[in-house]
Amino acid sequence: MRPRALPTFAALLGTLTLAACGGGGAAQAPKADAAATPEFSGTLSILTKFAGDPTGPYFEKLTAAYAKQHPQVKFELIQETDQSVKDKLKTLTASDALPDIYFTWTGNWADNYIRGGRAADLSAVIGPDTAWGKTFSPGSLAAFARDGKYYGIPLYGNGKFMGYSKSAFAKAGVEVPRTFEELVAACGPLRKAGYEPVAFGNKDGWPALHYLQQLFAYNVPDATLQADFDPATAKLDDPGYVTALNQFKTLVDQCTDTREGTNGVLYSSAQEAFAGGKAAMYYQEILEFDNATSDKVKPDDFGIFQLPVPRNAPGDGAVLEGSPEGYLVNARSPRVALAVDFMKFVTSQENARTLSAPPYGQPSTVVGAVTPETSSKAVYEGVQLVNKAPKLAIWLDTVTVPEVADAWLAGGEALISGGTTAEKVLESVRQASESAK
Amino acid sequence: MVTRLSFLGVIARVFMWAFLLALAVVVLYPLLWMTLNGFKTNAELFGDPFALPLDWSFDNYAKAWNRGVSGYLGTSVLVTLTSTVATVFISAWAAYGLTRVDIPLNRTLTAAVLGGLMLAPTVALVPLVRLFQSLGLYNTFWALLILYTAFRIPFTTFLIRAYMIDLPREVDEAAEMDGAGRWTAFWRIILPMCKPILTSTVLLHILFTWNEYLFAMIFTSGSGVQTLPVGLTSLMSKHGTDYPVVFAGMVIAALPVVLLFFLGQRYIVKGLADGIGK
Amino acid sequence: MRATLRRTLGLAWVLPALVLVGVFVYLPLVQNLQFSTAKWDIYSGGQEFVGLGNYTKLAEDPVFWSSLGNNVLYAAVSIVFQVFGALLLAALIESVRSERWQRALRAIYFIPSAISLTVAGLLFYFLYEPNLGPLNHALRAAGLGELAQAWLGQESTAMSAIIAMSQWQGFGYSTLLFAVAIQRIPGEIYGAAAIDGVGPVGRFFHVTVPLVREMTGLMAIVTLSGAFQVFNEVMVMTAGGPNNSTQVLGTWLYRSGFVRNNFGYAAAIATVLFAITLAVAVAQLWVTRRRRVEW
Repeated sequence: MRPRALPTFAALLGTLTLAACGGGGAAQAPKADAAATPEFSGTLSILTKFAGDPTGPYFEKLTAAYAKQHPQVKFELIQETDQSVKDKLKTLTASDALPDIYFTWTGNWADNYIRGGRAADLSAVIGPDTAWGKTFSPGSLAAFARDGKYYGIPLYGNGKFMGYSKSAFAKAGVEVPRTFEELVAACGPLRKAGYEPVAFGNKDGWPALHYLQQLFAYNVPDATLQADFDPATAKLDDPGYVTALNQFKTLVDQCTDTREGTNGVLYSSAQEAFAGGKAAMYYQEILEFDNATSDKVKPDDFGIFQLPVPRNAPGDGAVLEGSPEGYLVNARSPRVALAVDFMKFVTSQENARTLSAPPYGQPSTVVGAVTPETSSKAVYEGVQLVNKAPKLAIWLDTVTVPEVADAWLAGGEALISGGTTAEKVLESVRQASESAK
Repeated sequence: MVTRLSFLGVIARVFMWAFLLALAVVVLYPLLWMTLNGFKTNAELFGDPFALPLDWSFDNYAKAWNRGVSGYLGTSVLVTLTSTVATVFISAWAAYGLTRVDIPLNRTLTAAVLGGLMLAPTVALVPLVRLFQSLGLYNTFWALLILYTAFRIPFTTFLIRAYMIDLPREVDEAAEMDGAGRWTAFWRIILPMCKPILTSTVLLHILFTWNEYLFAMIFTSGSGVQTLPVGLTSLMSKHGTDYPVVFAGMVIAALPVVLLFFLGQRYIVKGLADGIGK
Repeated sequence: MRATLRRTLGLAWVLPALVLVGVFVYLPLVQNLQFSTAKWDIYSGGQEFVGLGNYTKLAEDPVFWSSLGNNVLYAAVSIVFQVFGALLLAALIESVRSERWQRALRAIYFIPSAISLTVAGLLFYFLYEPNLGPLNHALRAAGLGELAQAWLGQESTAMSAIIAMSQWQGFGYSTLLFAVAIQRIPGEIYGAAAIDGVGPVGRFFHVTVPLVREMTGLMAIVTLSGAFQVFNEVMVMTAGGPNNSTQVLGTWLYRSGFVRNNFGYAAAIATVLFAITLAVAVAQLWVTRRRRVEW
């Protein structure tokens, strides 16, 4: 570049800077009327977490059926996977391009959308006293409430259980463990019987968080735990954390075959190892139950139990990890009423039953949708256990702020690969929480 | 003395060939393995990774095709074609203006266009997301078309400009004598003369666009606008347990550019050499 | 008057390119500087000015430094293999007598560069896979079972495994370019050296290396610049894990913004990345201008 060219070029850049700084500021959300009579026209955009098999066709079929009833309504269906939906939602949020209806978890995840004015207040249509609201289990509605207002449409309940092969347990001569210590002790006999005791793939990091959160609930008093999720009140100094982290490490070292290499294994490979009859146990969500059974592990051979409580654990042993998952309606959507009408259709008794039955196997939050006749045995049992649990522990990666969740995620990976201690992991999470204040 | 030297020479030759061929095997074997895996079943894949497929059926390729690869391929082809035409045409247009038309601030403008070469796409990521959102182009085919064009104009202009500068002045004078306007001179005379460099830039742009990942990942979501590089990772996460289908998808994604390279090798090499050596 | 107007109208030739590059390449760059001084809540859309806060946070962030370190390691290994290794390899290929074989070898080595990093990354993900991957199978078959491990799943090996893949993917590209540069050396020089009794090794060091010095410099710069922009292969193979051990600046930028909700911080990382790539680009200009000053 010749020197003479530089000043002119700089002037050009300067003009661009001015252009860059102009404009900005997000528009205030208009007051959306969820209870209005919908206008049956336009394109309704929906972001789901149902991409792939077997859940992919669910929304495809529903949108087609709805469009048949209302020919003026068109759909733009964006289907993502459990793994990709997070990144996608954040990008869409950052760019103000959220669809009319979008998937959400509970906890901090949903709170962010509510706080940011991006979730329509649906109290008038889905509050517990409304006709629609009464069709849901009260707990599932409450999971998406904030300051007495109801925002979310719960679609299905979810909980984390250890799935096991009954025949593998019989062959190894082990019983369903009643304590965490018994679980670890059962791994030796299972390995001798030719099974990988617990299949575990942590390539994506979050599977470890599921173990950790359940163990935290067992080892850390609930009030402390809740305070620690919010960086403003977090201390993260309870000794229960270190105990839980060490228990997790013990489980990985003694019960998996991949041990310190577990971070290199895909979650789906672990799933495959269990479904293929190579592994005796696999920690999974209700949503996966109908996927876990196969030619090798028949539905009758498949059993579940809650991750057993460690002996003398100071936390609450009855708490089960899990939470409903649902959908929010974009507060800035011009079609809020139509979105509500479509979601009413999605959560009708008939469609809720379809969702709860194989091949989908997603236990609906609609009362009476999960029955022993329509749903698989394991799904039915899982839902009963979720309903019986006095309290649910929300997934660690959605209950707390992303920066802290990400620190836990890195910490879990570090523990598995063995480069660190439980104390150091906790310290790094504390720093992340400090920084996220 | 002479015999000893040639004996050593023979040994050296043998070692050299052994090395060159071993390296070729290291390069080719993973690709061969990938292709073969597209013909296997999951059980075969998990059993012995080195075994040949038992049944040479194209089932997995068909499955991959039906599970979204056809869509990704379509988008990739469309984005590649349109952005190639746009980039090469706009760049040639600019190169012509910068080299053969008397315009004010020539040096500054040249610096401004070519200066874009220095900027890494990653750096512009966050603002670009907001920009495309405010333009309403986020998650559209246009986002990729515009980005691929804008970010490749500096390099493409650079190559074409260097070539045009070397064309003799008399060409333009002859065109003027014939009474041809600027447009005719550009379209009828200069562009045809630039054919070799245009071929190179077209091929290089195709190689780039077909394989681009960063923008494709951030600026597109959902089916219909995803290109192959991003689509393949969704294929992996959506059908993660059906690995042979993923392998089949990878082969489908890789094959077109590898073929293109063998067909246009001469021009690609020239373009690369010119782009880097000047 | 008419002449000035005519000259100004000539700008129409450059305008489309200029507008596209200005709006989509330069403008975001400037905006990025502005974002890097803000805390930006993506949910409410609100922006809060924090001055250099993001930069001080950067200086204290161990993952930022380890990411930068990984980029440097990437660059160093790539320079060894893709510049010096490739030069040596190109010279070897050129010493093959059959031209057909020369062409075939160059083309074979180049194939990985034609396939996308996504395909290459996924492929190597499977090669390294602890259970079904051929690498571990081969080690076990060779009686080296204790060396079999989760290559991408351990902090100690993951980065090296990714860098190794990258060398596989990229060395053919630079080899091809060095081969072109060597071909441009007049044959008489080699002939004269041979008559003087200089052996093949001597010819490599005394003829080839000095005469392709310029290409070597440029390849080093291109490789360096590429090593600081690494993104695709890391995303596909490990997404920065385990325990952030494979984060590079590009992926840490992405994770900070799009996963950890900290877009202002991501913008600050982008500024650092910009400074580095700009420095490398200026170095390239400096190398280039010695040969040909055009602008």
